[in-house]
Parts: sequence; structure tokens; C-alpha cells
Amino acid sequence: MPDWKPEIVRRLASLHLAPAREGEIADEIAQHLEDRYEELLASGLTGDQAFSTTIEELKDSDLLARSLRSVAKEKYSESVPSGQVTRSFFAGLAQDVRFAVRMLRKSPGFTIVAVLTLALGIGANTAIFSVLYAALLRPLPYMQPNRLVTLSEPRSVAQDPYWDSSYPDYQDWAKQSKTFASMAGFSNDAFVFRSNSELRLLPGAQVTTNFFSTLGVTPMLGNNFPADEDIAAKEPKVALLTYGFWRDQFGGDPNIVGRSIELDNTSVTIIGVLPRNFEFPPLGNTKIWVPLHLGADLADLAQRRSLRWLRVIGRLGPGVTPTTAQTEMDGINARLAAAYPQANADIHIHMLSLRERVVGQVQPVLLILFGAVGFVLLIACANVANLMIVRAASRGREFAIRVALGASRGRLIMQVLAESLLLSIAGAALGFLGAFWGTRLLIAAIPDQLLYSMPFLRDTQPNAAIVTFLCGLTVLTGILFGLAPALQLLSGKVGDALKEETRVTAGGSHTRLRDALVVIEIAFSLVLLAGAGLAVESLSALLRRDPGFQTHNLLTFAVNLPDASYTKDPDYIRFDTEFTSRLRGEPGVVSIGNTSIIPLTGGGNTVRFVIRGEPVEVGKEDESDIRDVSVDYFSTLKIPLIEGRYFNDEADSATAPKHAIVNQAWAKAYLHGQDPIGKSFRFTLSATQPYREIVGVVGNIADAQLDSHDEAALYVPFDQDANSYINYVVRGAGNPAVLLGEVRDALTQTDPQLFPIIPLTMEQIIQQSPSVFMRRYPSYLIGSFAMLALLLASIGLYGLISYSVSQRTREIGIRVALGAQRSDVMRLVLGQGAKLTAIGLIVGIAAALGLTRLMGSILYGVTATDPLTFILVAALLALVALAASYIPARRAMRVDPMVALRYE
Amino acid sequence: MGNPYMDNTTHEGEWKRGSAELLILSLVEARPRHGYEISKLIEQRSGGKVRFHVASLYPLLYRLEQRGWIQGRWVEKSGQRRRRYYRLTRHGRKVLASQLRGWREFVAGINRITEPENA
Repeated sequence: MPDWKPEIVRRLASLHLAPAREGEIADEIAQHLEDRYEELLASGLTGDQAFSTTIEELKDSDLLARSLRSVAKEKYSESVPSGQVTRSFFAGLAQDVRFAVRMLRKSPGFTIVAVLTLALGIGANTAIFSVLYAALLRPLPYMQPNRLVTLSEPRSVAQDPYWDSSYPDYQDWAKQSKTFASMAGFSNDAFVFRSNSELRLLPGAQVTTNFFSTLGVTPMLGNNFPADEDIAAKEPKVALLTYGFWRDQFGGDPNIVGRSIELDNTSVTIIGVLPRNFEFPPLGNTKIWVPLHLGADLADLAQRRSLRWLRVIGRLGPGVTPTTAQTEMDGINARLAAAYPQANADIHIHMLSLRERVVGQVQPVLLILFGAVGFVLLIACANVANLMIVRAASRGREFAIRVALGASRGRLIMQVLAESLLLSIAGAALGFLGAFWGTRLLIAAIPDQLLYSMPFLRDTQPNAAIVTFLCGLTVLTGILFGLAPALQLLSGKVGDALKEETRVTAGGSHTRLRDALVVIEIAFSLVLLAGAGLAVESLSALLRRDPGFQTHNLLTFAVNLPDASYTKDPDYIRFDTEFTSRLRGEPGVVSIGNTSIIPLTGGGNTVRFVIRGEPVEVGKEDESDIRDVSVDYFSTLKIPLIEGRYFNDEADSATAPKHAIVNQAWAKAYLHGQDPIGKSFRFTLSATQPYREIVGVVGNIADAQLDSHDEAALYVPFDQDANSYINYVVRGAGNPAVLLGEVRDALTQTDPQLFPIIPLTMEQIIQQSPSVFMRRYPSYLIGSFAMLALLLASIGLYGLISYSVSQRTREIGIRVALGAQRSDVMRLVLGQGAKLTAIGLIVGIAAALGLTRLMGSILYGVTATDPLTFILVAALLALVALAASYIPARRAMRVDPMVALRYE
Repeated sequence: MGNPYMDNTTHEGEWKRGSAELLILSLVEARPRHGYEISKLIEQRSGGKVRFHVASLYPLLYRLEQRGWIQGRWVEKSGQRRRRYYRLTRHGRKVLASQLRGWREFVAGINRITEPENA
């Protein structure tokens, strides 16, 4: 008897099997060969003949090993002949794609619905991502932008948004700090500029001469500011232009450097043009940059440590961490506080990265939108997956036959994935066009005033990052919704597909999967609806808020009195008296007042004070908003008088004793229930400040923003603290916008060189304000997403129930034949929809309760778990779901038992 | 590839390997059988038209076993050397049913096509 094993083992050697496994295979095959050998001997062959015939079974020397190797590889490349892996894979792929195209073209209805659904999902995601990328991910256009920080010296968190410092503090920081490579300061400014014979106010900026070198920005034409700083200068001598201003105003003149222009009636030499990609969001609208020059205000601005007006940026030194720098700055701050307790005892130095400072406000909104739009895509995927499963089921016969013919499961999965990827690529192509258009829409929906502070949003052109995102999303999407039908194939139910077509009751794993997908769609829709509901509720609560004054029929604008013609307070007062009395006589003008800050436009000064008879430790004085207002300001805005009196021309003139009016919040915060009238306080900004007597208390108003808390504020008469930059509020009898012509005329008649600056109605101010934008933008967008989700989810539910009804036609027929009433059938079908909806609602509410918390920063006047909103959106969703199930239920009711039973 | 008598065009390949799998599954449906028995039965029942060599039969058995369609078990009967018997699993039974149905459909389809028209 020959020993077969050595021969077999020799052939298995190249496989490097585990010894036990190799032994087993050799045993089994040796047994086979032995059987064969004995049989051949029994049939009369000689030993030699029998041996050679038997060994023939093993065929060529490495066939066994090759075959076994392909078994071992089966899970990766089942149907691929070994040795031809690569070629066959790609050949197979090409074949799959060709086949997929053919199959999709055969069912245009399915293809169109799927592609459109995906285009919506992918397009919306890409659009939001484009904005998100421009705002949050794209590096700021500076050298090593991550090394840039902003520095401010607030007393409290509430003051932080102002981001300002005093000039002496800035100088001390720059001098004493070792952790910063450089520090620079800037402040906004504006210049009267004549373009095409029309005077206009040009937004500008004053910066320390090292400002651009700190950012690491070099002019595209000409040079940076020379290093010698003359902050005492009255007017700037040189200027840098932004690229846009250079192009629009000077036609991109390449010989602009060295030319002179008139700013505020002074000749200024242009020394350079900033690069095209340069932007500085804190001064987004700035057209012209000049060196810091304080002129007449030098004594105040450059020397008063308590006057905080300069915004400071710093570049961290090489290898310095923000923590190290903060520690050093804390030390410097402590030294300054000890040396200058009056101004610095109560402040701390706050360091924030420039990026955070710039995008901090818009970041939460964008992240919320990105999350919301992600849900839309998931719902779209679930919907298309559902369609694919129905299709796969109706193609069960095709798949079953292919399996019977030996097509491997892997091959069928490839086929399904090829189809889904093809769909997602088509969806992405369409979605990309939509995104391009959608991004523009997203940007266009941002008010100009806000866009100025986010110039980076203008740069949302498709770029490598966005295309990468799109491609990744496309593949992910294709796999995500292709996965469900592919899993169906993997679960080994392919053969059952044939049976399923004749099955009378719905059920089984693929129905469960479809149910689960619809439940997910309903749940995600609820999350979006809840988010939209909360955002809309916040917006309406905000717009419903009584700001403490009447906002309609108000026109606002500013007037800048040039230093050359107006030098002292009496000049300002004389102008104001002449201008307002001229305007007051115009028809349609009800009243006119002025203020240092127009409400709801943000910003404004604060002042430290001590109340007579209540001594306070030096440097720890209370601080509140201060507004210089004219006599008619309160009556023009209709801010109610609570106690005492408004200002009037006689008692509160420039020469009268100093008076003040406080708001209710001020009285409550600092007078602790005492009667404010007759109390007096003095400002601590200098030792010579007189006491001011409180003559009235007015209502609180929403000052900085519509969503601001009631801040303590005090008001002093314009005539006792006049300014050369005056903000006017005019109340009209009707539409205030039409008063602008009268305003212009009255201004020109008063002084031909004057013109209204930033004329806006109060309604416009509200609509463009960040606080409203931060709610309106997500309201509209999440609202649209939620509607889209609702539509998709109802299509999904409708499709599922319709399919199930068509599958259960025979069952329903039997039930009706056995005496079931139409109402029973209706209940049966609606019950199925209701069950899925109920599960979806429960899952959705649970998810929404967790997720809406993330919206906290944009909510106003409503909690993240507002029961009413949740009940309303759940009811809406339930209603839509009911409607989606009702249509197929009616169809089921009409089933004729005779026809249904004849089906088989 | 497993079957020495098949060419490499994909459809033909799928077709023949599919039928080889079908043959094995149906042979172990009634009762467990060992490899040699399977090869003899295929040869006998096909009147010698279909033959499996060792080098293709066992890899195919292992493949079916790996997929969980059949399960092999060593059995020692008295007076014989131990042999590996393959039985159809529940999963394999379903696969067989669907493959048979698919096969019958396919044959029926082919017949319908190849029938003389207007018979």
C-alpha cells in the first residue's frame, strides 16, 4: 500500500498551513486516494497501473495548493481566480458600473427620485460646509495666524466683548513683555473723502506703525508704514489702501504709490496697496489705513490710563505658549495695578486668540447649522436606502438566479454598491451646482453690516477642501445608503427573495430594516423640527420683546463736525440747535433728539463714579454705561419717565448745574431702594469732576442688542457734555425713510460740507443686528431643513406603507372575505404607520432633548426643552405621518377579495 | 480556479462553479457523505460525464464548509479508518433550495427560449 501523505504534504507546503490543519487535509485526501487505489486494484488493475491512475487525481503539481489558497482568500475575493486578482477586480468593477448604469436607466423614476434626494442632502451639506470652512477652518491670511492673540483689560466678563485697552497700558505691556514677538494697536476712524464730486465718509483705521508687520502682511505695492511713530500728529501724512478700494476708486492704477489724496481736507500720500487677500475682520469695512495720530485728543487718549479705546493684538514669540504669555501678562498687570490703583486696580488682562475673537460670535450658529444639515443628509440616505431595498426585493428573482448561477455574494454586494455609488455621484454632481448657488444665497442672507465683520465669508469659492469634503461625503453617502440592501444580501436572504414575492404577509428581516429606517427618518425629522421650533420661537420672542422704546417711525443717522470748523463744545451745541430747529419745522417730522450711541447698535462708553456719601476704595468704583443725550431724546424714543423729570433747555444748559438722569436698573443696582431724585455722584476719571444731581429716572431699554439684559445706564445732557460726532434719532409721522431728503436739506442749509452718515431706520437696525441675525438665520435654515426632513420622512413612510399594502393584498383579501370590515382594514394599515410613527416620535424626542441643549447659545426666551414646542412639533409630525399612511390605507380598503385571492 | 474543466470567462465560471456547488449540496442533502463517496456518486449518476478530481473536489468542499453551507465531521466506524463526513447545515439547506429554484427557473427560461415557436 503506497503512502500518499508525503506526496500530499509536499503539495501543500507552499500554503504554510497550521500543522494540525495540514495534517487533517492530508489525512482526508490520503483516505480518498486510498479508496480510489483499492477500487482500481479490485477492478483488476496492477499495483503500478492503479498507483499512476490514482496519483493522476492530484493533477499538476500545484493545482491543489492553488485551489486551497483561493479558498483561504474567499472572504476577500471570492469569485476571482487567483493570479488574476487585480485585473479581474477592475474588469469586474467596470462591468458592475456598466451594469449599474443600465439598471438605473431602466428605472428612471427611481433614479430621479434618488438622485434629487441625494442632491438636496449633499448640496445643502456642501453649502453649509463652504461657509463653515470659510469662517472656522480656513487659516486667516496672516503669517502663522495661530500665533496671533488679542489683548484686552476688562473689569468683568460683561465688559470683555469691548476688547479695548488704554494707550499707556498698551505701551507698558509692549515694553515689559518678553513673551511677545510684537504687539500692535488699532482703532477705527473715518475720513471725509470726495469721490465723483460727492462727499462721503470713508471707513478707515488708525494703527500703530508695526501693525502690519505684527500680522506678517506686506503691501502688494509700495511699502509699509515707516517705523517712526508720531502719535501727536493732527492729521495723517501717509496712507495704505486696501486692494478693493484701490481697484474701485483708482482703477487699479499701478503708479498709485506717491500720489496724494484729500482726506478730511488734508493732503495724504499713498505709500502702498495691501494684498488682494488681505482682510481684517474687526475692521472689515476699512478702505484706508493710516498711522495712529491723536492730534487734539493726545492729552486724553495717550495719557489717561482709565480711557480704554485702543484694541491690541500681539504675536507670541517663538515657542511661547499662550499660558506662559498669560502668566507673564498677569505679572505685568499686578505691577501696573500697584502703580496705578485708580485706573488698574480692578482689571485683569484677557488674552484670546485672534481667530476666536473674530469668529466667536458666528461659530455656534455655524456648528448648529452644520449639525442640522447633517441630519438632512442622514434622512436622505435612509430614504434612498429604503427605495434601494424595495428595488432589491423586486429584483430578488434577478439576484436569486445570479446566485444560483454561481455569482458570489461579494459580487452582488459590489453590484449594489456600484449602483449606490453611481447614484451618490450623480447626486453630488447636481448637489455641487446647488451648493454653489446655495452658498451665495447663504452669504446674501447675511446683512451687510454683519458681513463687514466677517469678510472671510465672501471667500466661499469652491476650493480643494470643499471638493475633498464633497468627495468624502459622496463616497460615505453611497456606502451608507447602499449598505442596507448590501446587508440584505449578506444576511443570506437572497434565495428567499423568490419566495417573498408570493408571500402573503409582510414581515421578515428586510421589512424590519425598512421599518427601522423609517423610524430613524421620523426621529431625525423630529430633532430638526424641534430645533427649528425653538429657533423660530427664539426669534419671535426676541422680536416681540419690548425694547423699552418705540422702534417704528424712527430714522437714525450721524453727523460728523469737522475739527477745522468746529473746535469746542459751544460750536457743537450751536450746530445742534440750528440743525434741529430747522428739521423740526419740516412736515412729517414729529421730534428729533441726539445721543452718543444709537440704541441696538452695540458699543458705547462706560464711566466710573462714586455716589456722594458712599466712599469706595480707589480703583474699585462702580462703572456703568453713560450716554450723552439731548433734551428731546427720551420723548423722541418714547422712553417712559418713571420719576422726576426729563432734561430741559433751561435747567440743563451748558452753564446750569450738572445734572443726570439714570435708568431703573441703575437706581436698583447702586441706590439700594433709596429715592434717586436729589442723590448725586461724581465721575472719577479726574479729580476735578463735579458732583451731578439725579433729576429723573427713566425706563430701561435694550441698549447694546435686542437680547441684552437691562444694563445700568446714566444719561447726562448733551449741552453739558457735547461731542463733534453726533447721532440723531428722528421720529416721523409715517415711514421714516422718506425723511432722509429733508434731513439732507436741513444739514446742507446748516453747513454745506455736512452729510448724514449711515442713515438707517430703527427697523433696519433691528433686522440687521447680530442678535436678530443669530436667531433669524438658524430659524430660516433649520426651518427649511426641517421641512425638507418632514417631506422626506413622509415620503419614506408613505412608500413603506404602500409597499406593505401591496404585499399584503392577499392577506387583506382573505380578511375581507372572512368578514373584516373596511374600517378594520383601515385600522390595520393605519396601525402599522402609527406604530412606526410612535416609535420614531419617542426616539426623536429623546434625541432632541439631548441635542437641542447644544443650541443654548442662540435661544432666547425659551428653554432648550420647551414642552410646548416639543408637543407642537410632535403633533405636526404625527399629523403628517398619519396623512402619509392614510393614502395607502384607502387603497387597502378598496381591495376586492375576489381579485386579491385570484392573485396567486 | 477550483474546477479544472472550466474556463475563465466570468459568466461561464459562475455558471459552472454554481452548478458544482449545487451538485455537492444536493448530494449531502439526504444524509452525510464523505468526499470519496461524493465523487463516486457524481461520476456514477452522470454516467461518467462529470468527474471531480481530488485537487478540485476538496477545495470546493472546504469552501462550502467555510461558508457554513455544509459541515464536516470525523467519524470512526468499527473496522474502518476514520473518514470525514459532510452534512448539509440549515443555512446550506436554504441555499440549496434557492439554488435549485434558480436552476429550475433558469432551465425553464432556457427551454422557453429554445422551444420551437408556435409549437
